[in-house]
Amino acid sequence: MATDDATQAQQLGGRNWMISGSRIWTIARGTLTQLIRMKTFYFLIAIAFLLVIVGNLNLQASAASQLSMIKKVSFGTMDLFAWLFAIVATAVLIPRDIEDRTLYTILSKPVLRIEYLLGKLVGVLLVIAIALIGMFIVFSLIIHARTVAFAGAELEYLKGAGKPAADIQLEVNAITSQGLRPALGIAVLAIFLKSAVVASVTIFLSTFASSSLFSIIIGMILYLVGNAREMAMSFWEYESDGSMAVALISKVFKILIPDYQLFSFAEGIVLGEKILPHLVWSMAGMSIFYAGFFIALALLVFYDKEF
Amino acid sequence: MIRTPLESTLRTQLVDSHLLSEPPARDTFMKLGQSTLMGTLGGLRPLVAVYLGLKAHNHFSYTEWDELDTTYGLITGLEPREEDHWVHWIWHIGINATANVQTSRNLTPRQRETEFNRYIQRAIQIGDDALKEHPRSADIRLQIAELYREKLKDPCEASRLYGEMIGLPDSLSYVERFHYYFMADCPGREKDAYEGLMRLYKESENNHLPTLIVKIKKLEVLLKIPIHQWIPDQDPDELIRRQRRSGEPLPGGIRLP
Repeated sequence: MATDDATQAQQLGGRNWMISGSRIWTIARGTLTQLIRMKTFYFLIAIAFLLVIVGNLNLQASAASQLSMIKKVSFGTMDLFAWLFAIVATAVLIPRDIEDRTLYTILSKPVLRIEYLLGKLVGVLLVIAIALIGMFIVFSLIIHARTVAFAGAELEYLKGAGKPAADIQLEVNAITSQGLRPALGIAVLAIFLKSAVVASVTIFLSTFASSSLFSIIIGMILYLVGNAREMAMSFWEYESDGSMAVALISKVFKILIPDYQLFSFAEGIVLGEKILPHLVWSMAGMSIFYAGFFIALALLVFYDKEF
Repeated sequence: MIRTPLESTLRTQLVDSHLLSEPPARDTFMKLGQSTLMGTLGGLRPLVAVYLGLKAHNHFSYTEWDELDTTYGLITGLEPREEDHWVHWIWHIGINATANVQTSRNLTPRQRETEFNRYIQRAIQIGDDALKEHPRSADIRLQIAELYREKLKDPCEASRLYGEMIGLPDSLSYVERFHYYFMADCPGREKDAYEGLMRLYKESENNHLPTLIVKIKKLEVLLKIPIHQWIPDQDPDELIRRQRRSGEPLPGGIRLP
């Protein structure tokens, strides 16, 4: 055993740079346990409570509008949770490992630094995935119950009013189209992809940040700027009347800051727009590219960092 | 070098497929409050729209129509693809606000008329904007038709809108009938209306509805249609008129004043 470790350590000393999936998975599992111990899943109760309230709001609006509102609040909350959690959890993890001295124990073992970073990222993404699935289940139960109730009431009313069968079907379809659809699962995936990019940007920030507070603040600023990037740039370029300097600064800005708004395509899915599979694949590819790019940047900083 | 053009292409494709919204118009930004602006910039556009929707509902409860109008302007600015927002906006301004000013005890008759005209014109204008955004919407046309029908008493425009609804996805089965019902009351269009109504009458017995018969009967007299071409059905209104004259009760013992 000791010989094995020594051999592995020797290999890491300069010859074997093979990344091990099992080591990444071990760190990811540890991160998952660490985050669960921080009682991160308690918020699910708050979200379920919020959805029950929104689901039972008695507004003077059509059934379809009320269902649409439940959907928008649910997915808006999922989105808010996912990116906020991605920033806060990722920003806290590395400084906490330094504080607890867990990092020294891990890095003294034959573990590559990239494995450590990837393990942390996968751990955070696991928590986000579990939480999103949990929230989606809560949402599905509520929206299904409300859809059945609204459609049943409408059906009874229209039949009583002697409306033609075709019109009744049209009205009921208008309600059920705002209910639970498989496409909404893709909206959850879209939210997950966005949070993966946010987490990888934050992991990069936390490799050189002096405190987790710094990473959280900068992470949030970057998120806001990344969301407003396209709008701000187009306004600025319009106002500057095509100035070369502004165009140049705008290009640099576009290269440095990810376009987070691009990842908000869950909005369209929630509103009932048709999903184009090739776009979902392209967005998944874009997320992997961003995550890989920022992990690579993080590794550049983290590689020679002395602890 | 590679990423920026790739992002631009993806953005264009996502916007074209309506999965991603265009950035809100500049005037929408100017009108947003600080917190709602931050929410919008923070990628929480649907949540901000829901919040503004609740705010609009509050304005409706307190009959604050101008505030409601502004709020719906923001909502549709943030989510122009959501058809329901437009329908509600037209309904609030065109139906609720106009009814409210017409019955307001705080206004003089002249003010009532001025305010009514202001809101109804505004509702028509919102309807035009809505149709620019949703050119194939039956729901929006239905709402505008209601304005012409109930508020402006303009059967010609109502008929035109019901006519535009025929064949649109999600249009209700009665739109074709309504198209001819209102055409029958539109000066100069009576002949077309008669032909359309007769076609519907001959098409199916299910179409032999009281209003359809009343309209045909009225047009038969108005267009001087030879008696042998008249439909055999009795005018449903004639029975009521006769009973009213004789003082006999209607079936169920109801007496007409």
